[in-house]
Amino acid sequence: MSVDTLFDFLGSIIPAMEGSGLLLVIAILIPCLLLFLVVAVNAIVMVYAERKVAAFMQDRVGPMGQGVGLHAGKWGLLQTVADALKLLTKEDIIPKNADKLLFILAPFMIFIGAFVTIVAVPFGENVIVADFNIGIFYILAMGSLGVIGIILAGWSSNNKWSLYGGMRSAAQIISYEIPAGLSIIIIIMLTGTLSMQGIIQYQAGGMFNWIIFANPFSFIAFFIYFISVVAETNRTPFDIPEAESELVGGFHTEYSGMRWSFFFLSEYANMLVVCAVAAAGFLGGWHSPIPGYFDSNGWGIFWMMSKIVFLIFVMMWFRWTFPRLRVDQLMNICWKVFLPISLINIFGVGIWTLVFG
Amino acid sequence: MSKYFRDIYESLSTMMTGLGITWMHMVRIRKNNVTLQYPEEKWPRPERNIGFDHSNYNVIRTRLHVDIDDCIGCLKCERICPVQCIKIVTEKAPVRGDDIKDIGHVGVTSNGSRKALVVTRFDIDMTECCYCNLCTYPCPEECIYMTGGPNADKHPIDYEFSEFDRSDLIYRFAKPGTKEGMNEVLSKDGAES
Amino acid sequence: MGVVHGEEMVLNIGPQHPSTHGVLRLKVKTDGEIISEITPVIGYLHRCFEKHCENMTYDQVIPFTDRCDYLAAMANNFGYVVAVEELMELKVPEKVEYIRVIMAELQRIASHLLALGVYGLDIGAFTPFLFMLRDRERILDMFEMTCGARLLYNYMWVGGVSHDLPKGFVETAFQFLDYFEPQIEEYNKLLTYNKIFIERTADIGVLPQDVAISYGVSGPNLRASGVKWDLRRNDTYSIYEKFDFDVCIGDGGQGTLGDCWDRYYVRMLEVKESVKILRQALAQMPKDGDVHQALPKKIRPPKGSIYSRTETPRGDLGFYIESDGSPIPTRVKMRSPAFTALSVLGELAGGWMMSDVISILGSLDIVLGEIDR
Repeated sequence: MSVDTLFDFLGSIIPAMEGSGLLLVIAILIPCLLLFLVVAVNAIVMVYAERKVAAFMQDRVGPMGQGVGLHAGKWGLLQTVADALKLLTKEDIIPKNADKLLFILAPFMIFIGAFVTIVAVPFGENVIVADFNIGIFYILAMGSLGVIGIILAGWSSNNKWSLYGGMRSAAQIISYEIPAGLSIIIIIMLTGTLSMQGIIQYQAGGMFNWIIFANPFSFIAFFIYFISVVAETNRTPFDIPEAESELVGGFHTEYSGMRWSFFFLSEYANMLVVCAVAAAGFLGGWHSPIPGYFDSNGWGIFWMMSKIVFLIFVMMWFRWTFPRLRVDQLMNICWKVFLPISLINIFGVGIWTLVFG
Repeated sequence: MSKYFRDIYESLSTMMTGLGITWMHMVRIRKNNVTLQYPEEKWPRPERNIGFDHSNYNVIRTRLHVDIDDCIGCLKCERICPVQCIKIVTEKAPVRGDDIKDIGHVGVTSNGSRKALVVTRFDIDMTECCYCNLCTYPCPEECIYMTGGPNADKHPIDYEFSEFDRSDLIYRFAKPGTKEGMNEVLSKDGAES
Repeated sequence: MGVVHGEEMVLNIGPQHPSTHGVLRLKVKTDGEIISEITPVIGYLHRCFEKHCENMTYDQVIPFTDRCDYLAAMANNFGYVVAVEELMELKVPEKVEYIRVIMAELQRIASHLLALGVYGLDIGAFTPFLFMLRDRERILDMFEMTCGARLLYNYMWVGGVSHDLPKGFVETAFQFLDYFEPQIEEYNKLLTYNKIFIERTADIGVLPQDVAISYGVSGPNLRASGVKWDLRRNDTYSIYEKFDFDVCIGDGGQGTLGDCWDRYYVRMLEVKESVKILRQALAQMPKDGDVHQALPKKIRPPKGSIYSRTETPRGDLGFYIESDGSPIPTRVKMRSPAFTALSVLGELAGGWMMSDVISILGSLDIVLGEIDR
């Protein structure tokens, strides 16, 4: 279901417009809208899940209620809707001394950074908007776009806390992209392709063909990748750019209402993307763990989504268990632990493929 | 070098322990849950029967209440209040221990004391009240108490008394019209004598 | 670190900041993440406690002592009534002493639980905070059962306590202790020995013994620096000499002696010791007995003055009371342990990073109500 096939399909049902530029725009817009829907629904579900997971881990029950009105629906299911309504109706404050243009631009930059990466995420055997031949590279490249938005937000707010947040975030995200990238190189080494679908197709045939179990080095690489992307998405224990107890709100201190919610929308979208890459790259993507069973196209979406949801749950689990690291410790872990191990990993995978492959 | 690997090992092991604890709490939420859905469910108030002289009352600090018919206007509560949130004005009653029907004044308290004073103003500003409970102890008639105090059978415990307007939290216990009525009673009295 | 220098920036942490534990303002000079100078600015919560006391009777002061250290109101009540009783040379019944010790120790657990939990929150761990608040809630329930209030009790009076313990209190307290002791292990596993937590706190903000003593730091902060000084032992008051408990001192378990981790861990150990004291006190408490000493209606201490000190959860709380024989004290001065703890912050925090300042401030366990009074 890439844009090309959609374009051809639309051309076949409306022969008069076949090959026209307008049809191409439509063929691009439809998947974009769908993706936006995915991102929005993802955020709504994730905010609710985050609240519930946090509550359950802390011996609470989280949002609850019997009906609509004073209560947020049964089991608080409408909590996120209520949140969204609240955020939409809130006053939109732009600080007097803020750099207005950049201040307004920043949340969108972050959101675009998160949004464009989803284009290359495969959700099923044929469910992918654009199966580039450089898919995973594209995701890595576009994923680092978000950091520009964060720096912009930190700088343009004209607030010392925001500035701290932005600077910390820049250092953190850029550093952690290196171990994450090096771990992905292992996938590329094993599969010999950059295309997301190609990587997943390599892992067909049961869970022992998944790259995470391919050899001990890729097993370690999965964890390095996962922890690095936790840091890249600014989640606890690496949430120092927004460290609530230190920097008040970090780079989004001055944001309110809808602008602020865009930061969250993109945080959850980012989580979705990085977990999707982990699922596709290491956990077999839309393949069922048992070969031959539940392996049809519809099940593909199920397997992919359940792997993503599990990884996102682990991120939440981290968040509600661990304290926060300090900024220099964060750098230490990146440069002194993850980077050497990643390099050894690449070397090890090379040797392993040479000997056993 | 060994410290390097020991640090990594310790980080992983302690973090796994932590993850295990939160996981156990999450799966046992039905047993562990400590919260209540507040407006529907409420925390049980502590048991009564505290073993104090009055065998059956709750010491819970809630809204102050005055049984104005029992108040003899001794001002003990006003004097002890550390934040001066109680304001009392009294007038001398024409005849000690007599009811004054016009203003609803009752001459004799439920303990049998004959009142020499008419309380024309008894205001408690609950926004100022510091809930120290000091005013309830010296009262000779036990007519000022936190709802749920010695006279709890007359008034249920009330600890949820939020208002939209701050002035609604000033509770006026003296009977409405007491002040004007008392002036009338006194002037009538004076004219006769 | 510190090779490259930029322009210094003055940053105001507070008065409205999630981690200043009240309305404290820290004027911080920073070069990037590195703090070069830190000045606490206080007074945002000043309520004229001492001046108020000169205008009200000895009884009426007690609710105001609650509001000084609002997280350990029982301990403040205790300190004040002990001072007035010493001034009056009053001996209170034995049962009252037991009740007071039980309340003070329960309050110590509650206060330390909040301190430890909030410290976890400062470091970024949210879950231990709620676990500790959950258990603190049980203690507050017991206080509510006893005196009707959950935070500001006005429970200890000169010459006694306001109410006798309710029926079933001893059983409830034992139940709580049985439930609580295993929880300490869980806190330790979840937070204390977590490697990230250790990394964030060990070797940070080291308070050497001599600095601590010269600044007059007291309580757990002093003991964490390895000084065995606890007024319950060293200058005993009430009936503390009857109980068997250890004075916990820091040992530099994860880093240097007197670092943030030690200050945190000493509090954890003290919670255990308080449980020990509670078990003894609850078992030994006389069953019957009056809880009020016969007193004249108006308390009129003889002419003279007294300085009396007690060990609150935050340290050495002193009350200086001067009486001219009237029902109103001429002067009440409070020596607050949190104030001395805050004053040492400037000494501790220089040269550390932004995040460390928060963790050092949190480890001192200050209560602004007590600092500003």
